[in-house]
Amino acid sequence: MHKTLKKYFPVFVVPVLAAFLVSFLIPFVMGIYLSFTEFRTVDASEWVGIKNYISIFTQDKTFLNSLWLTVKFTVVSILSINIIAFSIALLLTRKLRGTDFFRTVFFMPNLIGGIVLGHIWSLIINGILGFFGVDITYDPSYGFWGLVVLMNWQMIGYMMIIYIAGLQNIPEHINEAAAIDGASPLRTLFSITIPMVMPSVTICTFLTLTNSFKLFDQNLALNGKSAETSLLALDIYKTFYDHTGLRLAEWHGIGQAKAVIFFLLVAVIAFVQLRATERKEIEQ
Amino acid sequence: MAAIQFRNVAKRFDNGKVTVIPDLTFDIKDKEFVVLVGPSGCGKSTTLRMIAGLEDISDGELFIDNKKVNDVAPKDRDIAMVFQSYALYPHMSVYKNMAFALKLRKMPKKEIDEKVRWAASILEIEPYLDRKPRALSGGQRQRVALGRAMVRNPKVFLLDEPLSNLDAKLRTEMRSQITMLHKRLQTTFVYVTHDQTEAMTMADRIVVMDKGVIRQFDTPQKLYSEPADMFVAGFIGSPRMNFIECMITKKKDALYAEFADHIMRIPASKSKGLEKYENRSVILGIRPEEISAYSGGLNVQESCVINAKADIAEMTGGQVNIYFELGESRCIACVKTERKISAGDEVKLLFDCNSAHFFDKETTKAIACV
Ligand SMILES: Nc1ncnc2c1ncn2[C@@H]1O[C@H](COP(=O)(O)OP(=O)(O)OP(=O)(O)O)[C@@H](O)[C@H]1O
Ligand SMILES: [Mg+2]
Repeated sequence: MHKTLKKYFPVFVVPVLAAFLVSFLIPFVMGIYLSFTEFRTVDASEWVGIKNYISIFTQDKTFLNSLWLTVKFTVVSILSINIIAFSIALLLTRKLRGTDFFRTVFFMPNLIGGIVLGHIWSLIINGILGFFGVDITYDPSYGFWGLVVLMNWQMIGYMMIIYIAGLQNIPEHINEAAAIDGASPLRTLFSITIPMVMPSVTICTFLTLTNSFKLFDQNLALNGKSAETSLLALDIYKTFYDHTGLRLAEWHGIGQAKAVIFFLLVAVIAFVQLRATERKEIEQ
Repeated sequence: MAAIQFRNVAKRFDNGKVTVIPDLTFDIKDKEFVVLVGPSGCGKSTTLRMIAGLEDISDGELFIDNKKVNDVAPKDRDIAMVFQSYALYPHMSVYKNMAFALKLRKMPKKEIDEKVRWAASILEIEPYLDRKPRALSGGQRQRVALGRAMVRNPKVFLLDEPLSNLDAKLRTEMRSQITMLHKRLQTTFVYVTHDQTEAMTMADRIVVMDKGVIRQFDTPQKLYSEPADMFVAGFIGSPRMNFIECMITKKKDALYAEFADHIMRIPASKSKGLEKYENRSVILGIRPEEISAYSGGLNVQESCVINAKADIAEMTGGQVNIYFELGESRCIACVKTERKISAGDEVKLLFDCNSAHFFDKETTKAIACV
């Protein structure tokens, strides 16, 4: 088995490796290089050193605003999505009637694509806000909370399923033992139930974290027109495509530098996540 | 420190559609060690869980320590329970598992520590106090589960087949540990088991249940020597009691039991209740270990010799289990004999009527001898 595997190793690996090189590694390296240049097209670039990185923080005011907004959005989303999803999961594991139906209902929003969701919610929210003479697209605080609502609506069902699976893994006898030991239901929740679903909590936290941090489609469709409610990914996109004219090459360079910083942030999150889940697995 | 009283307790599941326990009335005395036995699904665990408060009582009343507890939550009943599946908290160390209940009762740390270490030393699990349950063997987990109950000093100790997952050696060991524990703690124990040896050796009294009904509630000795009906007679003792249909006849002044070409005089001490069964058939019960090998010469006045053909002969150390047919019944005899017996051999067996039991054919109840 091992021998055969060794013999055909190149046959299986080369295509994947080639695809990986062409579609990921080479563009990645080129992207890093381009962040130190001003360019109109990929082969018409001019080296400018770290000027782009400086411009992000001096010339372009949108980046820090977006970064702060993204962090706020991510924290609010993680808390609200996980708390609500866990609460619903607790309710729906209570052997009540109709739980199967509600599980399906809560999961459904997850099946709809982000762009579509964004447009639907923009219609709904603006429809309601219209009575009060406001518009989500241009009011940053409504825009922010609208995005939170949309994200919750989409992600809660998915997280709920993960929590339900985690909760169902707790043997009924454990809860009974806690009751006999004298634990109140609230105490059981905090001393028994939550510690026992910690693996699910970790998974859900990181799923919401990465999904919120990298959010793009929903942001674009719901309130993409306003600079004040652009999250990081959308801000980068806009830096590239919302500028025309003479300074285009400069904006391209700045956008590229932003993308590299974005990559570093996501990489740090991914790394922390990897370490966290690894440690959990060892503990298990 | 607590007596338990069941008063016409009923348990129904699925909105009353399934009746598991129709009507249960019995008393467990303070400090008594009571064992519940019965076939699988007869309602032993359900009964235990009603005492614990894990199952609602559909009807009737349950008292613990003279207090009606129908509507008292498990946590307020002051009971400890050992689950068949251990039910240890997997995310807590052995120490924390045992300390959890005490911590909830706001006991001082020092006292908790003393209690946990005391229990751990008795159960010989001191080296594992810092481990998580998953890093323990089945037997060690079982002992942690016992320890978790021990530190509590509860009014009532409930154990649901606590030894069923252990190997034979460990089981024997734990059996004596639990008996010692009962002596030491001086509390009421209710113990569920499938295992007859456990029931017979540990219990002060045994409840034999069948389909949610108590067939007999008595001391192990009484259950064995005076089973109330054929169910109890067949359930207690291993291999189970032989049942042979026989005809009661009267000759001169004595009663005789006739079965499959044999006739056996019934001793006067057993005749009383049988008189009204004259010329009717009853069930004769005789335990395999009360049949002996006949070596001739004995006075066989109140017994009879049976020529049996061994279908199967099992050597089990000092004795032989002989399976044979008698009339229409299949019987087993466990006899001590020097002779080597193998399948197909003819053996002479001695039935002693003094150790026989008689049961009514219709009601299956034992026929009173006095
Ligand atoms: N939640 C429930 N819903 C419906 N029926 C139940 C429920 N729990 C138990 N029963 C039924 O009640 C009967 C008694 O169950 P119980 O667990 O008390 O049996 P047991 O005597 O402990 O059996 P075993 O020796 O196999 O553990 C069984 O027929 C079982 O199917
Ligand atoms: Mg059971």
